[in-house]
Amino acid sequence: MTPGRTTSPNELPSEVRAGAFIIVPAYNEGTCLTKVVREIRAAYPNVVVVDDGSTDETFEVSRGCARFSLRHLINRGQGAAIQTGIDFALQRGAGYVVTFDADGQHCVEDIAAMLAPIVAGECDITLGSRFLGEAIDLPTSRRVMLRLAVLFTRVVNRVALTDAHNGLRAFSRRAAERMTITLDRMAHASELIDLVRRSGLPFREVPVKIRYTEYSLSKGQSSRGAIRIAVHYLLGRLMR
Amino acid sequence: MNILALNSFQILLLIVLAMLLVGSVVATLRGWATRREGTIWVALCAAAAVVTIWPKLTGRVADALGIGRGADLVFYCAVVVMMVGFWVTYMRLRYLRRELTLLVRRIAIIQAEETPPSTDLEATSAASQRPDPKAD
Repeated sequence: MTPGRTTSPNELPSEVRAGAFIIVPAYNEGTCLTKVVREIRAAYPNVVVVDDGSTDETFEVSRGCARFSLRHLINRGQGAAIQTGIDFALQRGAGYVVTFDADGQHCVEDIAAMLAPIVAGECDITLGSRFLGEAIDLPTSRRVMLRLAVLFTRVVNRVALTDAHNGLRAFSRRAAERMTITLDRMAHASELIDLVRRSGLPFREVPVKIRYTEYSLSKGQSSRGAIRIAVHYLLGRLMR
Repeated sequence: MNILALNSFQILLLIVLAMLLVGSVVATLRGWATRREGTIWVALCAAAAVVTIWPKLTGRVADALGIGRGADLVFYCAVVVMMVGFWVTYMRLRYLRRELTLLVRRIAIIQAEETPPSTDLEATSAASQRPDPKAD
């Protein structure tokens, strides 16, 4: 882990940027999707928006800004949306797959930092960590909850991570090929960590910046939601 | 046993059970339910009917099993049947949800919409949409 490392998108060769597919799962994100997608697209052409059965104009907005727009006809949860994006990217010959939240909490510059170790062949998977990096305007309640999630990951997934539930992740092609998310809803974050661990591929955490805005907080998880997710995940694990 | 000795509650219950029984037989014959499901339903209805007509029967069976009262035996059986029923339904629901997700995801990929590349970088990427040889 190299805290504080900054890499501008220009440091990545253009063929890497052209082969990287940025997957943006979106559920009712019509209001700020355009801004997020435009920002990414300025550096990475292959932005794949997966509209997870939104009831607002997310899909129409996506068609106006994203390179690829996919739509779930019925809402199936973020895990399913990410998996759809991964499948699509692999089908289109992606060399790298990055997941990026639609609510504007991530910074586009961080994508390069996420991809750099993979491009250099140092690892196959990078997971964003706001606690190695910077969490701007993170409310205390959310901080406590995220810390508990980390503890949960350490005990249940047996992986020591500093930030278990960050939407920014990057995969090499072969790593993406090994990801099969079966848990539809938000429990996929824990499941993904399992998949990462069991893939046997080297992974590392990369410090990233998270911007907490009123908008992104309103789309995040409440504490009660977090407990529901934990139960959902544990049930899913029992029944595998 | 004289059928007239049944009280009104028993008769009401028997009518409901008879309707359920006929319903399951019809459903099975028309292929709405599998033969196995039909058999289970018919057996359950028949067992409930027998117990309704001869309530003392449960007392004797309960005695033989050392449970005490007949009503307890019925209660225990009902709980087990319900739990199995819930479990089977829940598992089917889970399976159905999974299938639905696969379907929704497949349709999303088939109907993916692409807007043409607008910048130079995007144009080069259109040419490089092959699996990355390094990554294999």
